[in-house]
Order: sequence, then C-alpha cells, then structure tokens
Amino acid sequence: MPKKLTALLLLLPIVLSGCIASRQIESAAVIETVSVSRQGGSQLYTFFRLTDSDSPDAVSVPAESFEQALQLAAAQYIPNLSLAKLELLLYQTDVERKALRADIDYISTQASFSPVACLALCDENVLRRLRQKTETQSLIKQQLILCKNQNPTVQLDYLSVFNSFARQSPNSFSVAFITSDGEMKISAGKME
Amino acid sequence: MKTEVPFSSKRLFMTLMLCACAVILLQNHDLSADASFWVNLLSVFAGLGVCFFYFLPAIILKKKYNTDVMTLANQAGTPLKWATAVFYALYFLFTAEYFLIPYTDMFCKKYYAGAPPCLIALAVLACCVYAAVKGVNVITRFGIFLFVLALVTNFLMFAGSASSLRFEENLAFRGTLSAFLQNSGYFITPCFIAAIYVCLSGYTRRFTWRQPLTALALTGLKYALVLFFIAFSAGEYAGRQEYETYLLSRVAHFGSFAGIESFYMALSTMSVFMITALLLCCTCRGFQLGGNVKWTAAFAALLFFVRFIAEKFDSLNELFTNAALLNGFTFVAAVVIPSAYLIGRKKHA
Repeated sequence: MPKKLTALLLLLPIVLSGCIASRQIESAAVIETVSVSRQGGSQLYTFFRLTDSDSPDAVSVPAESFEQALQLAAAQYIPNLSLAKLELLLYQTDVERKALRADIDYISTQASFSPVACLALCDENVLRRLRQKTETQSLIKQQLILCKNQNPTVQLDYLSVFNSFARQSPNSFSVAFITSDGEMKISAGKME
Repeated sequence: MKTEVPFSSKRLFMTLMLCACAVILLQNHDLSADASFWVNLLSVFAGLGVCFFYFLPAIILKKKYNTDVMTLANQAGTPLKWATAVFYALYFLFTAEYFLIPYTDMFCKKYYAGAPPCLIALAVLACCVYAAVKGVNVITRFGIFLFVLALVTNFLMFAGSASSLRFEENLAFRGTLSAFLQNSGYFITPCFIAAIYVCLSGYTRRFTWRQPLTALALTGLKYALVLFFIAFSAGEYAGRQEYETYLLSRVAHFGSFAGIESFYMALSTMSVFMITALLLCCTCRGFQLGGNVKWTAAFAALLFFVRFIAEKFDSLNELFTNAALLNGFTFVAAVVIPSAYLIGRKKHA
C-alpha cells in the first residue's frame, strides 16, 4: 500500500506540471508594452508582443477603453493574449485624463497584471520610435530607472500611480514624461 | 494501527502557530475597509486574546491531569464517546473545508488560471492522507522545515516591499465600532488551533505556559507585519485585490528579481497541507483510528466530495467559508466540551 501511494504521489506532480493542454510559447502572445495614443477622435491601443526580432511585433486596436481594447485584441487580433509580463504602459499626453484614470481603475481588477509595471506619459515621437525599433522599449526602461534615481518623487510604477489617484490628493503628483526630439529625454511630468 | 510516541509540546505549539499564520495567507476581503491600520492592530490583539481564552480549558486539562478530551471521552461510556467523536469529526471536516476552498480558489485564480480546483484539492488531499497516516509526530517534524520556509518567505515579502513604503495619509486612527468588531471576528478565526490542541495535547510532554503565549505572540507579530505592509506598501491598491496578502509577494522587488509568488504559493500550499493533515489526524483520533489508511482515505474522500459539490453550488461554498460559523463551532469544540469534561473530571476526582 505505501508503495502504491508513493507511486501515486510521484505521478501527481507530473500530471499537474502543466504539460496537459499546454500553450506553446510560439503561439502565446506575451505582451511586453502597451501604448495608448489619440488618433482622430478615438484612442488607439497598441500591444507590443515579446519578440527577438529587430522590428517590433505590434498590433493596434482602436477602442474606447483598455477593457474594450483587450477584448477586441484577444478576439480579433491576438489570440492567447497574456498581460502577465507587461512591463511598460505608455500614454501619449493627448489622451484624456478621464480615459487614463478609467484604464488604471480597470487594470487594478486584472489578476494577471503586474503592479510593478512602469507607467509613463510620452509624446508622439516616442510612440513612432517605439513602432520602428524593438530596442526602444529597453531604452525607455533604462531611462525610467535613471529618472527614478535622480528624482525619487516621480511615481514610476503602476502601483504608486494608482495609489496617488486613489488618495485624491488636492495636489498633482509627478510621473515620468518621455520626449524624443532626436534623442530621448525623460523629465518629471505633472499628473492632475 | 499505530500508537503515537509522546513528543515535545513545544513542537506542537510551533506547528499550531504555523497553522494560525495560514489564516492571513489566505485572506480575502474579510477585513472591513472602514478600519485603519491601527484599528486593525487592536483587532489582532482582541482576536488573539480571545484565542488564548479558548486555549484555557485544554491547557488546564493538560496541566492538571495530563490528558486531553479524546482520552477522557474514550474512558467515558460508549454513547458519550461516540457523540464526542462524531461532533469533533464533523467540526474538523468543516474546518478543513474552510481552508481547502479558499486555497484551491486562490491557486486557480492567481497562479494557474484554467486548472480545475477539484484537481488541486485532490492532489493536496492525497498528500494529506499520506501525512495523516504517518501521525502527528511526523507532521510536527515537517513543521520545523515549514518554519524555516516561512521565515525566508516572510523576509523576502517584507524586505522586498520595504522600498515602496508610503506613510502619507495612512497614519490616521480611523475606524467604526462595526468595522472593529468585524475585523476582530476575522482574527478570532485562528482559534481553531485551540480545538486541535484539545484533541492532540495528550500526545505531548513538557508543557509550559510560555509555549501558548509565545505561539500567539508570534502569530500576532506575523499578522501585524502583514497588515503594516498591506497598509503602507500596497496601499489603496490592496483594497481592489482578491487575496490581499498575495499582493505582497507580487510587489516585492529586489532589483531584477521582481515578485516572489512561487515562494508564497509554496508556503500557503504547505500550510494548508499541514492543517488538513492535522485535522485528518484529529478526526481519526476521535474514533481511535489513528494510522488507519482506509479510514483516513475515507475522511479525505468525504472532504473531496464536499469540495466537488461546493464548486457546483455557491451557497455551499459560502457556508463552508463562513468565518462566523467556524467561530461558533470552534467555541463549542475548544471551550464548551473541554470545560464540561473538566468539570466532570473534577467531580469524578
């Protein structure tokens, strides 16, 4: 009896290891960065997949909110979409604060989302560079860390941005603001 | 059938402390948002104070007569023996479900989306049957390793979250009486360890008063630290999350090493495993079936069946995760029945 029980116990971890109904990494869409910009009257959500190629693998979805963009992206553009490894959320300065707050509120309910992902504002040139070269994403992340070291009051991660909004402080708080006019620059931008 | 060898009372209390700490590992929206950190701290003191009161009848039985309720029940007449055994069996099976349901839910929601909760429950129960057959002594030895893992995990969780501590606006003493009472009710939940002690204290030797006090003090310290980091590191974001303590393992950050969910899941898995195994041991002890593989497996099968049904019916799920109900049953199991046996023993003496 103990031998059979031991064999069963050894078998269970294999069964539970996830090899059954697994998702191959080639078919999974691991999203590394999401950018939000204004185009015409609506918002454009761009999902950048994790890739080893020089040119980014990006899919743009016009939507009214992050929630709708996720649904559309998963249904029409990127099946097997995963936000578990999302590291960077970029909002163009033109995006309305109301829409940004609604997105932040929605994301907080998503179990797979990492609260330590970075959130920053940016201009149109940064988003253009982001769509052209994959290395721009890692460059932005490096710059964001430098920015935080130089200016500790800047709210860099999603968690602190969410808390700053939730506390409804009468004063505005600082977030990272990225501009790209030839070379990339990061400064502290005010979030009202 | 195996006969347990007496082992150190200190080791049993360390195991019970780890079981009590598991309550906050599986915490899910049971604390009122109307109470600030300081009010919650008062609730911890109140809850664990009640827990000490729950321990008293079993401790007096142990200290004065060196026995426990199950031994006394077996010495009493057959109807009383069976009534006691059946009540405790039902109580311990209810308590095991109370932990098994939130654990399997958390595993599927937070860690392995898509996995059927029943399959996770089956895996945990299979291991628990093996451990319960081996006996309480072996489980408490396992507790020594779990204690070390708990230290490492808690250190990683708290040290990694320390960099994001924010004290602005969170330091106020704010709370209502109803919030205080609700949260105190939550912190009375660990009293189930007193009911375990009621059944297992007969196996132990060298009891001192310092042991329960140290176990409860360390449990309180763990709760206070978790509450502190949830309030000042995760902040308002924690209020939006299911399983708030789990969030601490996600925001813990050491440079490129971000998030220590695996450590957290390992600790909560082992804690639930230990609680369920101990509860199976207690259930078997009531019927004098300790070490009996078939009966232990039968009790585990009953647990699995209830878990399976609870997945289908939400009302059953809510019933088995109702803290007030558990606290009510615990009062009977840890205070009323041991006190009755204590009075009976005094009269008999």
